Amino acid sequence: MKDNKLITLGIETSCDETSAAVILEEREVLSNVIASQIKVHQAFGGVVPEIASRHHLNNINPVIDQALKEADITLKDVDLIGVTSGPGLVGALLIGLATAKSMAYVLKKPLIGVHHIQGHISAIYIEHKELEPPFLALVVSGGHTSIVDVTDYNSYTVLGSTRDDAAGEAFDKVARVLGLGYPGGPLIDEAAKKGNPHAVEFKRVFLEKGSLDFSFSGIKTGVLNHLNTEKLKGNQINVNDIAASFQLSVIEVLVGKTIMAAERTKRDKVVIAGGVAANSLLRDMMKDECERKGFSLYFPSPILCTDNAAMIGCAAYYKYKSGLEDNFFLDAYPNMAL
Amino acid sequence: MNILAIETTEAKASVALINEKGEVSLEASDEKMNHLQNLIPIIDALLKKRELSIDDINYVAVSEGPGSFTGIRIGVASARALAQALGVKTIAVPTLQSFLYHAYDYNGIICPIFDARRNQVYSGAYQWVRNEFPEKSKNEYLSSKKFQSSYKELVAGDAYDLPQLLEKLRTVLLEESNERMTSEVTFFGDGIIPYKKQIIDWQNSSLNDNIRVLFADDDIRLQNASSVARMALEYYREGKIKSLYDLKPAYMRKAEAERKLEEKS
Repeated sequence: MKDNKLITLGIETSCDETSAAVILEEREVLSNVIASQIKVHQAFGGVVPEIASRHHLNNINPVIDQALKEADITLKDVDLIGVTSGPGLVGALLIGLATAKSMAYVLKKPLIGVHHIQGHISAIYIEHKELEPPFLALVVSGGHTSIVDVTDYNSYTVLGSTRDDAAGEAFDKVARVLGLGYPGGPLIDEAAKKGNPHAVEFKRVFLEKGSLDFSFSGIKTGVLNHLNTEKLKGNQINVNDIAASFQLSVIEVLVGKTIMAAERTKRDKVVIAGGVAANSLLRDMMKDECERKGFSLYFPSPILCTDNAAMIGCAAYYKYKSGLEDNFFLDAYPNMAL
Repeated sequence: MNILAIETTEAKASVALINEKGEVSLEASDEKMNHLQNLIPIIDALLKKRELSIDDINYVAVSEGPGSFTGIRIGVASARALAQALGVKTIAVPTLQSFLYHAYDYNGIICPIFDARRNQVYSGAYQWVRNEFPEKSKNEYLSSKKFQSSYKELVAGDAYDLPQLLEKLRTVLLEESNERMTSEVTFFGDGIIPYKKQIIDWQNSSLNDNIRVLFADDDIRLQNASSVARMALEYYREGKIKSLYDLKPAYMRKAEAERKLEEKS
């Protein structure tokens, strides 16, 4: 407790960021420490689960110390512990879980497992202190692409999800094919700014009429086919043009389906969350479309788009307030449904 | 003074408590490969059995590996977090050497072999060196403050192809054995199941007629937190205590992707 307010320690280790955060009451972030492993995985062109797990274990305790220090509290002040319990890489998740469980046991404080997507959605509460459900959310990252109707703090309906690759995964794969490096999201975003988005018309995959699901696995193949054809013709490849054209083809689908979902659910508030929410074209196009339809658009600042523990702590607080506490048998759920 | 010892490097998890007098109690999980779920509940059950609270723990010891990577990490992550929340220090117990405490009155060679997949075993070979108290009873022997853990390492712990390990064993045994004395080696660990036949064939080969091979009985064959606790007590007496930040797993093998990347370059 601090000034009679509850203190939540949030822990996130579902992929390649080791993070710990201290949240005061619902939405005030006292600290949000993120140890990124991007540099470690760059040499491999993507996240290697075994290496991610090893780094999480090395990082987790100093990261927690740093979060406590920045928040100017000690572990004894912590009132509840929230931790990502899935979905994610199982070996990565279990570092956060083993840590959170052990600490909750010693401190005799409530333990709350948090769904990673619920965490991403909760990032918006931190950014926009006045925002409350209901709203429509597009959660889009390297591991997830879902349209979620958020009816209350702990009540969600998933309206559509990717049937194969996540949007962020498509960015990573195409960036690799184009020789841009890893992680693909920001690199393609940058390259696209210098390219012509209409240079190549890659196929937009909308699936069945009215479907809110996604499919991005074909786009990588589309880019590969295009590159091969051009190479055979002996044509020069303009990487920036391809990055811009690819990006537009993904973003158009994301924006189109999100707006369709908002209209269908009659929500006038739209939220984008997750790593890809930092994409500048997604933000711009969604803003234009929302303005046209009279919806209000909310998105978190880049640091809250990435995997971070503040969003997990915030989600844990709302679960705790609804009496959704876990016991010490809490497990890692790599394919957890929302 | 109480030490909590955690063993999660194998299929079944166990935890043990040991005090200064060397009194050990053990709690083991019956479930296989469910360490993350079961660890805190079995720690809690053990403490309740001994009428202690987690706040009575002065040191957290853990079996550091080798073994299952995931298992090692659950043990080390839990040990570090328990120590962090309790504000206590840790003790890292080498998993292979902990088997010495499975057989502290044994004079032969102790050789744990853990199935490391890819046709390898994690293994090492160790032997007690008796210079004091050999005539005393086990408990007295272990609780004596003067007792120093005195053992020799005949084969250093690492990941080996089985033939490579057996060749190393043969070489050191030839060096060690004086004249025609027969050396006895007892194998422990889950590697016995896939490799028992190969080991017996090796013993039966004419080159090794002065080596006698035994396999540990089922009840003492695998990792056990009691031995981790006993070795931790010994480490405590020797001052081998670590900050939780220095408590690291002993994987004894690089990640597959890392190995492949190095091969390429």
